Amino acid sequence: MCDIIWCKKDFEGKPCNTINYLDPYCFWNWEGTINCAECGAVYYIHMIQGKMYRGPEDRPGQKPDTSPLYADKPLDGYRFYGAGIEGRTRPFECLPRHIYLGVPDMVKFSIRGRPVRGHRPQPPSAGIAGSYGFDWDIEKLSPDLYEEYQQKIKNGEVSEW
Amino acid sequence: MAKDPRVTRIEDLPGPKSKQELEEMKMPYEEYCRAQFDPGNEFSKPQSLKGIRWLSTTMYIFTPHSVSNLAELGADVIKVEMPRMGDPMRHCAPFNETYLYPLHESRPMTGTGMGYLNANPNEYHISMDYHIDEMKEPFYALVRMSDGLTQCYRPGTFDRWKQSYRYLQEINPRFISVWGGGFGYGPKCFGGSYDILGQAHAGLASVTGMHEYMGGHCTKHSNWCIDWYSGTQITFGILAALHWREKTGLGTKIEFSQVQAATRCLGYAAPLYGRFGVVRQRWGNWDTQLCAHGIILCGKSEYPDAENPQDRLEARYAMISAFQDEDWKELCAITGMNDLYDKYKSLNERAEGEAQIEIYAALEKWAEDKSRGEVVKVCQDAGLLAEPVMNDREVYECEHYRERGTIRWMDDPIFGDVLQHGSYSAGLMSKTPRRLFWIWRPVGADNVKVYHELLGYPTSKIEEWYENAWL
Amino acid sequence: MATKKDVEINSRADTLDLMHPDIRPWPVTPAPPPEEVEKVYAKRKAEDFGKWCEENLRYEYCFGKPEALQGMRFVCCGQWRMGNMFCGGLLCEAGAEVIKVEPPGGDPLRKLTPFGREEYMLESKITGEKCGLDFLHEMRGQKSITINLETEEGRAIYKTLCTQADGVIDEMPPGYMDSIGLGYRDLCEEMPRLVYCNMAVRGTWGSYKDNLSKFGQWTLEPFGGCANSFIHNTGFPQDQLPRGKGGDPTRSGVWFADFCAGEQAANSLLAAMYWRDYLGGTGQFIEVTGSETQMDILDFDISWYGFNASIKARTGAWDPNLNQYEWNPCRDGYMMIGGQTDRLWYRIGMCIERDFPQFGRLIHEDPILKEMGGRNALNMLVKTYTLTTRWLRDINRIEAEQKLLEYEIAAGPVLFIDELSEFPHFKYRPWVCTIDTDHYGTILFSVPPNNYQMRTPHRVKVLGRPLGYDNYEVLQKMCGIGQTQVNEYIEKGVM
Repeated sequence: MCDIIWCKKDFEGKPCNTINYLDPYCFWNWEGTINCAECGAVYYIHMIQGKMYRGPEDRPGQKPDTSPLYADKPLDGYRFYGAGIEGRTRPFECLPRHIYLGVPDMVKFSIRGRPVRGHRPQPPSAGIAGSYGFDWDIEKLSPDLYEEYQQKIKNGEVSEW
Repeated sequence: MAKDPRVTRIEDLPGPKSKQELEEMKMPYEEYCRAQFDPGNEFSKPQSLKGIRWLSTTMYIFTPHSVSNLAELGADVIKVEMPRMGDPMRHCAPFNETYLYPLHESRPMTGTGMGYLNANPNEYHISMDYHIDEMKEPFYALVRMSDGLTQCYRPGTFDRWKQSYRYLQEINPRFISVWGGGFGYGPKCFGGSYDILGQAHAGLASVTGMHEYMGGHCTKHSNWCIDWYSGTQITFGILAALHWREKTGLGTKIEFSQVQAATRCLGYAAPLYGRFGVVRQRWGNWDTQLCAHGIILCGKSEYPDAENPQDRLEARYAMISAFQDEDWKELCAITGMNDLYDKYKSLNERAEGEAQIEIYAALEKWAEDKSRGEVVKVCQDAGLLAEPVMNDREVYECEHYRERGTIRWMDDPIFGDVLQHGSYSAGLMSKTPRRLFWIWRPVGADNVKVYHELLGYPTSKIEEWYENAWL
Repeated sequence: MATKKDVEINSRADTLDLMHPDIRPWPVTPAPPPEEVEKVYAKRKAEDFGKWCEENLRYEYCFGKPEALQGMRFVCCGQWRMGNMFCGGLLCEAGAEVIKVEPPGGDPLRKLTPFGREEYMLESKITGEKCGLDFLHEMRGQKSITINLETEEGRAIYKTLCTQADGVIDEMPPGYMDSIGLGYRDLCEEMPRLVYCNMAVRGTWGSYKDNLSKFGQWTLEPFGGCANSFIHNTGFPQDQLPRGKGGDPTRSGVWFADFCAGEQAANSLLAAMYWRDYLGGTGQFIEVTGSETQMDILDFDISWYGFNASIKARTGAWDPNLNQYEWNPCRDGYMMIGGQTDRLWYRIGMCIERDFPQFGRLIHEDPILKEMGGRNALNMLVKTYTLTTRWLRDINRIEAEQKLLEYEIAAGPVLFIDELSEFPHFKYRPWVCTIDTDHYGTILFSVPPNNYQMRTPHRVKVLGRPLGYDNYEVLQKMCGIGQTQVNEYIEKGVM
């Protein structure tokens, strides 16, 4: 075991079987304690150049210095804990927004309030051999979006910049 | 000159010839520039490369960009993608979040990721499985009707498909055939490549990032800079070749290694190593030749209450530049580092490694209780050069780029409202400016336009090919 | 042939010449012979094609071939920055004639040297003058003349010079050339075919244009990267390395925005020239800036803000758009691996799982990682790269490269300049090479990537130029001013 900690502690009557991933740059040279994202068991590790120089050793009852960014359960359909779940994983602060999706963001309007085709599904509108023209007839293809846009114009939510 | 030498014509005299010219001569310089470049009115002017037609069987960023520069300058470009799938770059979106739909009529749930942006603007997008025999005829027809082609397949692949320059020059002697890829002829000929490989393999990464003693590692440039930068250098090769072709009527073959292009921008690294055996290392946010000329961490964020973490946590860095003696003296005076001024009076003394470490530590200490804005203001008020390290929002909101038209909103014909920071920013031209028609097109969107309207195939044929998934 | 000799070392100065190319010539070990490389081509059944490439594109053959821009002439008036140097260098490599106009004291870039060390500057064997290596390396074929533009006579010489040119590259402070009557609007009247290119960091006009300090200091890179979000977006996040200790926004190690500006300036000049020669008949005014040309190539970064108010964040050596696409530490440095499409993704997996079976299991079994888009999510990057590094930490770069290349994966080590100068492929082509120069002895330099062309390869013949070395030739030939007059001008401080 090394760059991952595969926790096998008893947890709620079963082996915990959670893999805690120790991401390479953060832990490449690192010493301290870290918790298991599932059962909360605390391990002491000392890594030098990516190798486990000491540990993982149990440190029951100690407060962990850090948490993994990501952990998953291979025996449980790869159920996972992503970054920033309180008490389990450490937050990833350096993000582009205050929220993090990791899946396509369904965007209908740009930040200045005009329609953009950032959402699916799009109704079919192609001609021969998958060809498209040079316009997007919103009113015909996406009447709901068109309605919403008219409403936005009325509300003054559409701007130049 | 006038026919009669006794006649004086205003055109023959120096000085302004008309009222408009007189006005221009009197204008303040900046106003003159604004009038010449006239951002927003690009479409009232001609295009530099009108009449050039280029084929692009490219993928990702590097080779597409060699062509997108031409497309922005007015060349007609036909981008050929593999049927249904398209360029793999269409599947790149930051953290999987940003797509524009549809990718292709048969895939309404799949979009084109923002990674594709800026690399294929203004181009007609067709699909074609050009490696099968059945599609050779339309492929060669396109070659006959074009000035050149850029491709990115592994060396020998196009040759095997009878589409390399060896074959194409027989069909069209004026043809300019470009291969862009990782390595080119030689022992690592078949090595694949990406931008990041160029950054890593060719030395750029070895000089970028914090030094080891600061706890840093070799750092990747945020964007696919080597892809773009080396693509632009291909464009330079193409433009030079076009000039030569206009004179001689002969095309050529260009083989371009993007990995090598990364070595090209390392400045003194090669001669320093070659002459003295000294290996250039990374030097973080400072400069190896100038001091003070670096980015420092300030104690306080400029927007402590902002919702976006980039505003809230990262608006803390300022670039300070005072490397000339007088500037340095002033900087020491306003930051209370007079002892350092006495210690490092000349630029060469300041630029020494140990001196830089001491100087920037003192500057960061001084900035410990200040926000980025305060640091910049103190320096600027003293007449020194200092600026904030701006994030994307701040760049978007920066009036400068709006005045110059280099950041603008685009009403794309298919995809709607898209903010654009490419194309117009590659260089302002007063008479034949670059411009943007559309950001990209769905896979195969122009099949009828090209196969029917340009090559003259009947639509029944096009539909047949499409059914066979050859388009 | 290198010979063995005793060396006495009493100070650092004695060590400087130990690596001199006369003592330790480049390359230290020879490049692989063509017969070896033929075998590489044969492996993929591309013998014929390989032979064709070697016969038509080889570096060695470039010197006998014509030059694409033969007959084009440019005047380059710029200081301090790499932008005008790179632009001028590109044009020279393609065969144009570029005359660099410097003030009598020289372009200050000549005096810059790493860490202020004068011992790393090279002395001209002929004039004895010292030159910094950045300047020397980019001064590839440009001629150097000196003109004091602050004098009336100097301005007249400059103007005459421009009448003989197709294009001008101006990288002086905003409005400076205009203020002394030598800007585009002054020249274009008499020279309607002149193509004129301004270069700057942020611009010579506009509300955030370049400025000078109170004491006249110029705006230099990385101010460009600060103004277009490049620096904000580059570097390791504080989640990977502590802030202040590597986890900060980071500038490029080189003046990268200058290089972007240089190449786009060269492109704009050639495009404008194409229009002039074949379509429109007249020259024009161009402005190219470092911050904008670098912004042009900042992927989708600012557009992303327009889409859903995201502000791109740093992701260190990982790429947020592709998986795999990163470098991670290994036993002796860093190893870059790339492969995003399913075809390549599974090949990487097969390669790693041969040594480390658990990788195959944990990666290939995971349902989210089966979908190309899904793999790019941050969580998936953490997982993939943790396991990849678990494999890398036990092997060296060269081992990793060999293993990955067996599976035809785009992979490569992070190399330093000494390593890349000796990398077999790079020596073979070569993409660093030496020139035995008249002034500075043998110099190792980066070969232009546009060198490998069938008809008009770009090439470097001359590296470096002492200040004002071409005064007599250029003034005689282009301005009809003879040596006596030139000497007088030099005496008077006009040149």
